[in-house]
Formats: sequence, C-alpha cells, structure tokens
Amino acid sequence: MSNLLELSDVSKQYGQNTIALSNINFSVKEGEFISVIGPSGAGKSTLLRCINRMIDATSGEIVFDGVDALELKKRDLRRLRTKIGMIFQHYNLVERLSVIENVLHGRLGYKSTLAGALGLYTQKEKEQAIHLLNMLGLEDQIFKRSDQLSGGQKQRVGIARALVQDPKMLLCDEPIASLDPNASKVIMDYLQNISRSMGITVLVNLHQVDVALKYSDRIIGVSQGEIVYDGSPAQMTQEQIHHIYGSEAGELIMDTEEEKNHAG
Amino acid sequence: MRMEDTNKSTVLTQSKPIKVKPLNKTAIVIRSTLFCLIALTILGFWTYDYKEVGLVEGILSTIANFTVMFTEPHFSHFTFTEGLYQVLITIGLALLTTLIGAVISLFLGLFASENLSSRKVSNGIKTIVAFIRAVPTVLWVLIFAVAAGLGSVAAVIGMTFHTVGYLIKAYSESFEELDEGVIEVLKASGANWWQIIWQAVLPSSITYLISWTFLRFEINFAVAVAMGAAAGAGGIGYDLFMASSFYLDLRELGTITVYILIFAILLEVVAIRVKRHLKTA
Ligand SMILES: Nc1ncnc2c1ncn2[C@@H]1O[C@H](COP(=O)(O)OP(=O)(O)O)[C@@H](O)[C@H]1O
Ligand SMILES: [Mg+2]
Repeated sequence: MSNLLELSDVSKQYGQNTIALSNINFSVKEGEFISVIGPSGAGKSTLLRCINRMIDATSGEIVFDGVDALELKKRDLRRLRTKIGMIFQHYNLVERLSVIENVLHGRLGYKSTLAGALGLYTQKEKEQAIHLLNMLGLEDQIFKRSDQLSGGQKQRVGIARALVQDPKMLLCDEPIASLDPNASKVIMDYLQNISRSMGITVLVNLHQVDVALKYSDRIIGVSQGEIVYDGSPAQMTQEQIHHIYGSEAGELIMDTEEEKNHAG
Repeated sequence: MRMEDTNKSTVLTQSKPIKVKPLNKTAIVIRSTLFCLIALTILGFWTYDYKEVGLVEGILSTIANFTVMFTEPHFSHFTFTEGLYQVLITIGLALLTTLIGAVISLFLGLFASENLSSRKVSNGIKTIVAFIRAVPTVLWVLIFAVAAGLGSVAAVIGMTFHTVGYLIKAYSESFEELDEGVIEVLKASGANWWQIIWQAVLPSSITYLISWTFLRFEINFAVAVAMGAAAGAGGIGYDLFMASSFYLDLRELGTITVYILIFAILLEVVAIRVKRHLKTA
C-alpha cells in the first residue's frame, strides 16, 4: 500500500519561545488506524491541525495524497480540506440547526459560495447524509434540533458530518474525552468500523492509553513536541508509556487499570 | 488529646478573619466612587433652591396635575383617528431607522468582530463606532439638521447614525461570544467565509441579534417621540409639544401619554412573542 500522508521535519513554533512541534517525521499508509498519545501540552492537537493547515507549520514538508500541503493557496487548500474530515472533543455542532443540516455542512467545501451560504443541497447529498445517519444509528434523530442530543449522539453527528465529505482521512482530536465509558466505546467502535469497511485512514488523538492499545494498528507517542514512540501497540512496554507521559505516568497507569476493572 | 485540642483552638483564634472579597485597587475605587455619589446626592437635596415652592405643596399639585391628565383625557386639537395616524408616523420613524441601521450594522458588525475579521479592521471599526455612540442621538439629529434643515430627513439620518453605532457594538459582541470550534469545524471541511457566516454564525446568534434589535427599536420609538417635539420630525411628538407648551392642555397631554403607553406595551408584547417563538422553533 502507498503512503497517503508524509511528514518530514515538521516543526511548529508559537511566538518566540513555545516550540510545540520539533522535527516530526512519519508517514501514514492508506487505511491505517493510528493513535497519537501523549500528555496534555505535548503537541497532539497542533500536530493534527498542521496536517489540514488549520495551523501553518513553521518549517518542514507535508505531503498529502501526492500534493505538497504547505504550498497550497486558497482554492486548492479548500480542495485539500474536503478530503480530510475532522472530529472534535466538543463536537462543534451548530446547536440551533437540525441534525441533518449539521451533517450537510460537510458538503460546503464542494459547493459554490451562494449555494453553500443558502444551504441549497442536492437530492443526492441529502440522501447520502440520511444514509450515513442511518449507518450511525441516528435514524430517529435526523430532523431533531442538535441541542436535544446526548453527547454520544452529537459525536456521531460529528462523524457523519466528516464522512459526508467523502474524505480519504479522518483527523480526530480527543473524540471521546467528554464522553462516558459506554458512549466512548460506541464511538471508538464506529471509528474502527469506518476505517476497516470504508478503507478510510484514521488519525486519532487520545488521552487514554488503554483505548489506544485496544483499537490502533499503530501508536505514535508524543512528548514535548517530539515523537518518542512509533510502533505497534503490541510492542509497547510499561517503560515506554512512562517515557511518553513522564511524571504524569504513575497516575495514568492507575487510571487505565481502573477503567479496565470498570469495563470488566 | 487535650493538648492538641487547645493547640487547635489557639491557632483558630489567632488566625485573621478570612476575607472572601480582597480589598484591592478596583474595590477601593468602586467604593470611593459610590461614597462620593451618595455624598453629592445628599448635598444636592440639602442645598436645592426651592424658591417659593414648598416641597409638600409641590408634590401635591403635581399629583393633582397627574390626576387631571389621566382621569379626564380629551380630544380638542385632533380626533382619535388623527392621533392614531400621528402615532403611526412616529412608529414609522422608529421602524425605518431601526431597519436601515440593523442592515448596515449586520454587515459592518461581521467585520467588527475579531474572530471573523482581522484585529486591525475590527479595532478600526470599533473605535469609530465608539465615537458615534459617545454623541447622543439628539445631537446627531441637530448636526445633520445643519445640512438638511430641521425636519424628518435630519431625524432619519441622525437616528440611523446612532443606531448603527449602537447595533454594531451589540452585534459584534454577540458574534464574538460564538463558540470558536463551530467556525473551526466548517473551515476544516473547506467552507469559505460567507458560507461560515450564513451557515454557522448567523443561525447561532440570531436570538441575540433579534433581542438587541428590538431593544434598539424601543429606544428609537422614545427618541422618535422626542424628535417630533424637538426637531420638527412630526408624529405624536409634535402634538405632545403643542399640547404641553403651546395650548397648555393637560387633558390632551393625558390622551397623548395613553397613546404612547399603549403602543409601547404593544411593542413589548410583540418582542416577547417573537423571542419566545425563536427560542422554541
Ligand atoms: N495558539 C497557541 N498559541 C500559543 N501557544 C500555543 C497555542 N496552541 C498551543 N500552544 C502551545 O503549544 C503546546 C502544544 O499544545 P497542543 O498542541 O494543544 O497540545 P495537546 O493537544 O497535546 O494538549 C502547548 O505548550 C501549548 O501551550
Ligand atoms: Mg489537545
């Protein structure tokens, strides 16, 4: 399989002194499910946002699907972004709009300014949105106002909104950090399913090591802006987890033990 | 055990009373300002020059005037329908200036909010708008009256001007309250600026926009009455002016006040209805 995404020597500096990322190198194969783990402030969110240029990297090269992402100007940048779906911790739905309207927002990147602004979607786009909502178990919620949904349901709407873009890749920034264990499991199962059945590459920031170990094909450990682990979950040792999380680790391992007990 | 207990209690008695509100610079400034205001108020009443009018006497005759106004209102210089027509003219003035102001403000308000525009543009607009707001509406009307002459044209332009100053501030602050994430998600999916405005910004802030617009409409209604009296803009304000300072007709003044009250209440009811509808729809 070919590489969908390649980062070479990517660095990001905020202001004068905050180095959020330094010399990041890794490549992603099509269809991979990768978790990025690390303590808060490690640079996980920054890393994800550099890929679709929500944040501009200070230096380095990012090649997505054969195009140099850092070179792109307006129109081409929009096109690049349509190919990358993004999912957030706080779902980021327009609460006053209906579920299907929120899902259709994923199509805006393909539409003319006027049609998009007025919300004129084609029949095919609407059918696709409904199809995705059915797939995610939201068939009874389609015309509800988004603020009436539970957290887990909102996140599923977020996934549908990303999928309606027909993306090659999903970037998920802590998608389960605000959810209870049950809803978290549902969301992670959907993401895994999507990756396997639709062949979509998934790059997900996680705070929970046990979840990363359970779902990923590959784990990237980030600490203080640098990649300190890149390999399969099976090869990951306790020491390596300690290394990624530094002093936070003691607490964290206890957390994962506890969660395992809850689940069991 | 006993030793420990006594130790604890001494610690407790020795410790200073805990202040929940720390006495910092802001608190001192606020308190001294309040104190000055109270002192000035008392001093003001103390040294008031009441001339020949006794305080009790004054209050009593005011009450008598009010009683005449509201218990014996009558029509003498205009009929019921003429009065209604004049109120509608006043409402029209308020509605026109609010609507024109709202459309201009909506557009400029987008550029005045920092999260949708650039800091430079936002600060530029906000500074100009602060200046416009600092000058009272009536003064703007009089300023425009220099060019247009006293009358409805100066009133419309002046009132619109101040409305724009007011609504740009209100609208842009509503936009700035918006959840940054909603804008981010649409940007990340490839949506452009106008699409984000129409699909996320406006739907999310529409209740605030409507609230502010109604509030300004109420203000403009009051100003429109005053403009009729002060700037010759016509409407019920002009009748008010004539009845009070030309005919000295207390009873007709009562009639006009009732007209204005009824319409103010109607406005309020409509505003509440619309807002409730928006919240649930
Ligand atoms: N907009 C910003 N301006 C300045 N510093 C930032 C900004 N965003 C993030 N940072 C800093 O960059 C570092 C990485 O942040 P982030 O990518 O959010 O980490 P994570 O997602 O792993 O918690 C942190 O030190 C954070 O304080
Ligand atoms: Mg983060």
